[in-house]
Amino acid sequence: MGLKVQPGVIGCAIRPVIASRDRSLEEIIYDTAQMALKDAGLTIADIDGIAVGSNDQFDGRSISVMMASGSVGGVDRDIMSTPSGSEHAFILGALRVATGQFRTQLVVSWSPTEVSSMPEAQRLGNDPYFHRALPQDELSAHALQASAIENAVPGARSAAEAVAAKNRAFGTAAWGDQGPSGKMRWPLTPGMTSEPVTGAVAMVLASPEFIAERWIKNVAWVQGMGWATEAAFLGDRDLTKAPALVAAAHQAYKMAGIANPDGAFGVAEMTDATPYSELLAYEALGLCHRNDWTARAADGTFGAGGRLPVNPSGGVLTWNPVFCTGMIRIAEIAQQVRGLAGKHQIPGVKRGLAHAGSGFAMQYQAAVVLGQEARP
Amino acid sequence: MELLGRQEVWSITYDHALGETASSFYTRIRDEAAIYGRRSAGSGKVMVPPRSFSDETLLPTEEWVKVGPGGKIEAFTMVYEAFKNLPPPPYAFGYVLLDGADTALGGYFKGVDLTDPAAAAEKLKIGTRVTTKFAEERKGEMLDFWFELA
Amino acid sequence: MSGDRVGIIGIGQSAFRARRDDANYPELVREAVVMAMADAKMDFDAIEAVVYSLSPDAMVGIGNAERLGVDAVGGRMKPFLRINTGGSTGISATAAAYYHVASGAFDVVLTAGADKVGECGDSQSVLNKIWDPSYERPLPLGTINMLAMSGVRYMQQFGMTEVDMARVTVKNRRHASLNHNAHLRKPVTIDEVLESRIISWPIKLLDCCPQSTGGAALVLASEKYIRDNHLDAVWITGVAHCAETYWMGDRMGNNPTAEHSGAHALGRSFERSYKMAGIKDPMKQVHIAELYAPFSNTEYHAIDAARLCSRPGESIQRLRDGEYELGGRIPVNPSGGTLCTNAIAVTAMARVAETALQVWGRAGAHQVEGARVGIASGNGGDHQIFGTMVIEA
Repeated sequence: MGLKVQPGVIGCAIRPVIASRDRSLEEIIYDTAQMALKDAGLTIADIDGIAVGSNDQFDGRSISVMMASGSVGGVDRDIMSTPSGSEHAFILGALRVATGQFRTQLVVSWSPTEVSSMPEAQRLGNDPYFHRALPQDELSAHALQASAIENAVPGARSAAEAVAAKNRAFGTAAWGDQGPSGKMRWPLTPGMTSEPVTGAVAMVLASPEFIAERWIKNVAWVQGMGWATEAAFLGDRDLTKAPALVAAAHQAYKMAGIANPDGAFGVAEMTDATPYSELLAYEALGLCHRNDWTARAADGTFGAGGRLPVNPSGGVLTWNPVFCTGMIRIAEIAQQVRGLAGKHQIPGVKRGLAHAGSGFAMQYQAAVVLGQEARP
Repeated sequence: MELLGRQEVWSITYDHALGETASSFYTRIRDEAAIYGRRSAGSGKVMVPPRSFSDETLLPTEEWVKVGPGGKIEAFTMVYEAFKNLPPPPYAFGYVLLDGADTALGGYFKGVDLTDPAAAAEKLKIGTRVTTKFAEERKGEMLDFWFELA
Repeated sequence: MSGDRVGIIGIGQSAFRARRDDANYPELVREAVVMAMADAKMDFDAIEAVVYSLSPDAMVGIGNAERLGVDAVGGRMKPFLRINTGGSTGISATAAAYYHVASGAFDVVLTAGADKVGECGDSQSVLNKIWDPSYERPLPLGTINMLAMSGVRYMQQFGMTEVDMARVTVKNRRHASLNHNAHLRKPVTIDEVLESRIISWPIKLLDCCPQSTGGAALVLASEKYIRDNHLDAVWITGVAHCAETYWMGDRMGNNPTAEHSGAHALGRSFERSYKMAGIKDPMKQVHIAELYAPFSNTEYHAIDAARLCSRPGESIQRLRDGEYELGGRIPVNPSGGTLCTNAIAVTAMARVAETALQVWGRAGAHQVEGARVGIASGNGGDHQIFGTMVIEA
């Protein structure tokens, strides 16, 4: 598969944590969209279309795009919305630019913490026919996956502990402080997850024609992207593997013309909802076989100054705005490629890899390759 | 065969942050028994209820403007059907353009006999003057006020 | 033609009913998908990506219920995402599938969904939660009340009467009586509509859509794939969305950009779709329209917005004259439309499906003779987000 027109990321606003209550959700989304436009050097008048990603149950609104539409400039614009994943909003925006029918897209996602019980909001995602009666939220699903992996891969626990320590060290370096640790859900310890926080993210995508016309020089080009899903019932899945991410990576690498991912990237951001998610992603993305998890986690390959720094932002383990963590990973890579990642910038990044996973035990998987080189 | 069903109830509570603009609107209703709008930069329109930014210009709003209590009906309906979690019918509600405002504010219409729908529709027809009434005890919410024919 | 169009090659629709106790939610999705795949004479392996069509989760009572639909659409290990724009979801999902193909990324994409509105005991409570938590939810707002107020303004501005509203129901029920998939198929008279009980004045029971259960699915493909495989298709030649303000009170008062009596952004969306399809004079060039109108009064402003009359409000007289009937000048909602069938998640997809069947000449008893160019629309949010399409043989 190949895109007719190659989209480029020209603006980002990443807000992994918003602590104050002086702005309503609608206002937070407005602020975030405006910040991304400013980063792109554009105004809303330059935007042809909009894609948003949000979750009604987290937002406490039915059809939450409605409330957000005015905030992101939806009035008199072509706006669409996906509730399946924040990363899907990015993909939709990129596809729309790729058609050649849109010159620009604003993509926005958010995740508030106004619900009294996030686990309950997530539990409603279980089907009422077979699984609703079980106490399953996303953390429980992650825990089931973690225990399955520990059982299947000797040494996985020590590798997971090292990944958690790495990401927390990155988080401290990037932010000074970090969000509260998660809850105990055996075998996950509080340090292996993080409590939900409110966050938001916005990105501006544009066509090569628009980028050339505006003399925009600092672009993270979409070199490849892939996304795929697994079955809904955990009982239908092998929780020790991430086949949907293998499929997503295959699509993304094929589009990007990457034969061997090992050594292809200067930085990666992965959805480390737990360190086990990150370990599975290493393997599915072709970066590290499970037999090497322990060794690579110990030797600093994926740490600061390592061969491929993973999650220099501190990842989800540092800030966990649940629904928009996937798109934040993509935006972090865009900023790394653009040299605008701030305190956690990795020097000399030419190409980066973003992994976004969401749903129960990462049912949805996506891989996005962004780089400085536009395709010829 | 025997086809089974299963009753499921969703029960989730939210604590929505209202932000500074809506908070100010409600505290003024509670403390002053008055309605305020915000003037939009660019268009100059007075938006009621107040928004911190205009969805047309995407510019922040600039100043508070006191509106009402008089106004005119912009839209109404009379509801004769019972809906779960809504008041027992019949009732009338709609939108009113308060004096000094450029956009309409929602509220109940009280004091109109709804027995004969056609007659009531005539009484509430668009353009009819109304005035805002405030409850004695106000909590700082939308139901602290309603509209009655002037 | 440029050779890179996007075509519809398979269509599946349930026979919509009030309830379907024989099938759970994903089974309903599956039913429509199987029909669409059979229609396309295609194997699941040929599907490269899936766009899932589902409006508010609370309506089906399952959070992110698209996850449960993955198997129903054969989505495992495939690119899959869901669209939700409210009532317009079905046309938005079709548009998203269109973008998947038009981007060059995929040749064959499936879009599908289903709804069981009849199982939701609180649909107007769910719909109350579409509004702002503090400013508007304390009011007894629901979609019926919202559009009753649109009707009141339309009456005042254009002289629509309750009899005019009834005429829309009578027309659409007559159409639905010919459509085996429609939910409400019993013809009614003007008097029966007028004598039905008032829900939210001026809307009466028979001015309202039903709560329907059923699914819909479409298979879209690239022109190259269609040519290479010698497939039959109809073509999506225009596609667009447009939104207007969320705030109903901003559609009234002094000089509103979007007027609540009308459907401003629907008109803007049609302008874009028409431009893309090269349609300059819709009254001459459009042969059939499936316009999303869940309450009788709203069909008038949809016709106005689609410019199937020469000025806003003229739709009233033209409908009285029978122009929008089957056999009339431009039949509107020959399927019976949303007024006779509303399975929210796929209602707007049914508009696309019905339009496609019409220009394909496969609509059956409600076929519009000689239809080659058709239009479809969907309305979402609080009459806020609109999707439109032009479909041609």
